[in-house]
Amino acid sequence: MNSDVPGRVDASEYCPPAIQSATFISSQGDESSSIELSPKLRADLLDLDAWGEILTTYSRSMRVAVALTDSQGRLLGECHNPQPVWKLVNGAAPVGGAGCPFCITTHLPCTAVVAALQGGEAVMVRDQAGLTHVAVPLLLGKQRLGAIIAGQVFDRYPEPLSMRRVAKESGVSAQQLWEVARRQVPISRTILLASGDLLCTLGQAFLLQRYGTIIEAELGRTNRRYRLLVDGVRDYALFTMDLDGRVTSWNGGAESMFGYVVAEIVGQNFSCIFTPEDIASHVPEKQLHQALQGGRAEDEGWRVRRNQQHFWANVNITPLLEDAGPDRGFAIIMQDVTERRRVAMVLEETRQERVRMQETFLSHVSHELRTPLTAIHFFMTNVLDGVTGDLTPQQHEHLSLALDNVKQLKDMVRDLLDITRVETLKLTVEPEQASAAKLVAEVLSTCRTNAALKNITLRSDVAPGLPFVWADPSRVRQIIINLIDNGIKFSPERGTLTVGIRRAEDVGFLRLWVSDAGCGISPGNREIIFDRLAQVRSSVEVSRSGLGLGLFISRELVSRQGGRIWVESKLGHGSTFYFTLPVFSLAKLCARVLTPQNLDGGSVSLITVDVAAIEGSDQANIVPKIRKILGGCIHSGQDVLLPAMSDVEPVRTFFIVACTDLSGFNAIAKRIGRGFQNFDSASTLEPVICSTTLVVGAGGSREEKIIEVTARIDQLIQAHLLNEERDSNG
Amino acid sequence: MDEKKILIIDDDPHLLMGLTARLKANGYRVVSATDAISAIAVALKETPDLVILDLGLPAGDGLLVLARIKGLAALAGTPVIVLSARDPSGSEKRALDAGAIAFFQKPPDNHEFLGAIRQALGETIALSSFLKT
Repeated sequence: MNSDVPGRVDASEYCPPAIQSATFISSQGDESSSIELSPKLRADLLDLDAWGEILTTYSRSMRVAVALTDSQGRLLGECHNPQPVWKLVNGAAPVGGAGCPFCITTHLPCTAVVAALQGGEAVMVRDQAGLTHVAVPLLLGKQRLGAIIAGQVFDRYPEPLSMRRVAKESGVSAQQLWEVARRQVPISRTILLASGDLLCTLGQAFLLQRYGTIIEAELGRTNRRYRLLVDGVRDYALFTMDLDGRVTSWNGGAESMFGYVVAEIVGQNFSCIFTPEDIASHVPEKQLHQALQGGRAEDEGWRVRRNQQHFWANVNITPLLEDAGPDRGFAIIMQDVTERRRVAMVLEETRQERVRMQETFLSHVSHELRTPLTAIHFFMTNVLDGVTGDLTPQQHEHLSLALDNVKQLKDMVRDLLDITRVETLKLTVEPEQASAAKLVAEVLSTCRTNAALKNITLRSDVAPGLPFVWADPSRVRQIIINLIDNGIKFSPERGTLTVGIRRAEDVGFLRLWVSDAGCGISPGNREIIFDRLAQVRSSVEVSRSGLGLGLFISRELVSRQGGRIWVESKLGHGSTFYFTLPVFSLAKLCARVLTPQNLDGGSVSLITVDVAAIEGSDQANIVPKIRKILGGCIHSGQDVLLPAMSDVEPVRTFFIVACTDLSGFNAIAKRIGRGFQNFDSASTLEPVICSTTLVVGAGGSREEKIIEVTARIDQLIQAHLLNEERDSNG
Repeated sequence: MDEKKILIIDDDPHLLMGLTARLKANGYRVVSATDAISAIAVALKETPDLVILDLGLPAGDGLLVLARIKGLAALAGTPVIVLSARDPSGSEKRALDAGAIAFFQKPPDNHEFLGAIRQALGETIALSSFLKT
């Protein structure tokens, strides 16, 4: 492209007023750095005096007109305007037409400024006179500060009016002068274009130079502000340490918290604020180590003031590792929470005291209620059992009902204590291998009289062939009775109540349920009913109320046995309460023994202890004692004393799955022998102890091995029990 | 002498009355004491075959009575069943550790309670016959 414009101003070139060409020149905006500039900083960066020298030098060497604008395009000052290219008026905005600083004849130059500021790129326009103007935006990061505009001038181009005056004064013809003027060429457009880049570079260099110093100054001010902030904080001790734990800075809060002033503490190891016991057990070092390892360390504990007074501190340690070198270390924030701790402790003590008092009170009430209940119980059972003579059928029926009510009272008294135990975490559950079907059958027979009062039919829906559960029989009974009593309470006369058992979807559980055709429970109440003392409002009107503790205790009892309880209900169509109990599994029970190492190492043994002489003696009392002795002879937490493996009574054989080999077994056998001797010095019990080491085939997954071993254990146990049966029969 | 003698130590006269009637109907001879101090004297004098012991007694805790019984050579072999209104958690273990053969909370299940009495009296026979053989 031939960039040279003909040296003659052709009238035709003054119109039409439109952008004849626009070229975008790349500018180097640093995208990564973005900084929020205050108006003051912005003005500072566009300080014309600072720009003056650059722009004037540039414009002289380039022989162009140069001006600087702010980000709105308002003229900040005229740097170099050798020819009246622009009508530069300081502070004037690029509005186009009259009053526009750049537009004498056209508004093209001001268009370039606006386009450059908007687009963030350099813009070149050529006006009607054929003169080129380049507007370069000034960018600082993503911020547009303003623009520099450079305009082409005709060097020594005579102004038409003065030309005429000169011609007149010099006595030359205007035509001659015009010829002279035609030889004066304007600055090459190519040069101007090339210099656009130069202008950009100059601008960026200048800004970066200023940016640096100004930002540094800004940072300095920020640091001062931070220092003021840190020092001003009084409620927190804020201090820094080097990697060895020597204090490097110490704020006003730390000063008033500990009583050390900066001059005393800086350079000292921070262990001086710990108690002597903590120092002796290397707590300070451990905390720093922990902070380095974990990225932070938190602690609450005693710290020591300069006057040796102790206070309870909440401490937060953060390692400072961002910088290399001397600033690496730790920042510590510490708060004196002695008062907060005291209040929390008082509150907790009050709560415990309240629960203790409640328990004492309830256990007293329970004791006092039980005494008259016991007298009533004995008198009634005596009469019922004919100790005092024969009864008429009606007398018998009425007394039976009265006795049922005594039982209910007894249950309520038990609930009163249970509820407190939930809070004090003393509610006990002792799981054993139990038949859920048997428990349900027992409960149904005891609940029949109560149900008969309202003509309610109790139905059982128990699937055949269910496995044993691992649960506390008395607690399961308590749960089912609670649910049945509830069902009876909310069922209409002549209704039906069903108690059922099925396998749960989770194969490790049985699902038990009690369903009624009562009034149902609204969705909003389905969770609430399991809360303490909950009784849905309308339910009180339906029937006489109990203590409202049944479901709450049931939920606790179910969850403590590893199951869950829930209700499904439709208003007006009855409710079904479900709960799950874990299935008894030899594999689960023995899981802690049946580890891959033990199995592969051949160190799993089944130990059988036969106690022949139990027969005839009071086994109800002796069996628990023997279990206790055996429990003391094995490695608790590792070996497992199995529950009774059949319901044949008397129990004569006890089984232990132990992690032991032959020599280990000899030691256990010796211990068991001694245990029995201590218990029964006459040696009437004569335990016979045997052991079988369980070996599994190589290969196979852990699950397969466990299944294989438990099947083997089961097989051995059944064989043993069968032999025992034969012996006692033969 | 066929009739077994049972000593009930309990301060509730109605309980004494009701339980005595039942035990007598079951063929036992029954004697009683209503406080911790007379309990030992009665036990020494009567040498019962079984003691049914309440824990909350006037003039001393039932556990102390139990310790005295187990500490006296003449009574140490007598089985003791505790029948108390106290909660089994805690009390049961303490009673069994102190030498009681069973713990029942009031009011007891008759079937279990009377069964335990029968067994306790039977057990003494069984054990003594073992010792002789």
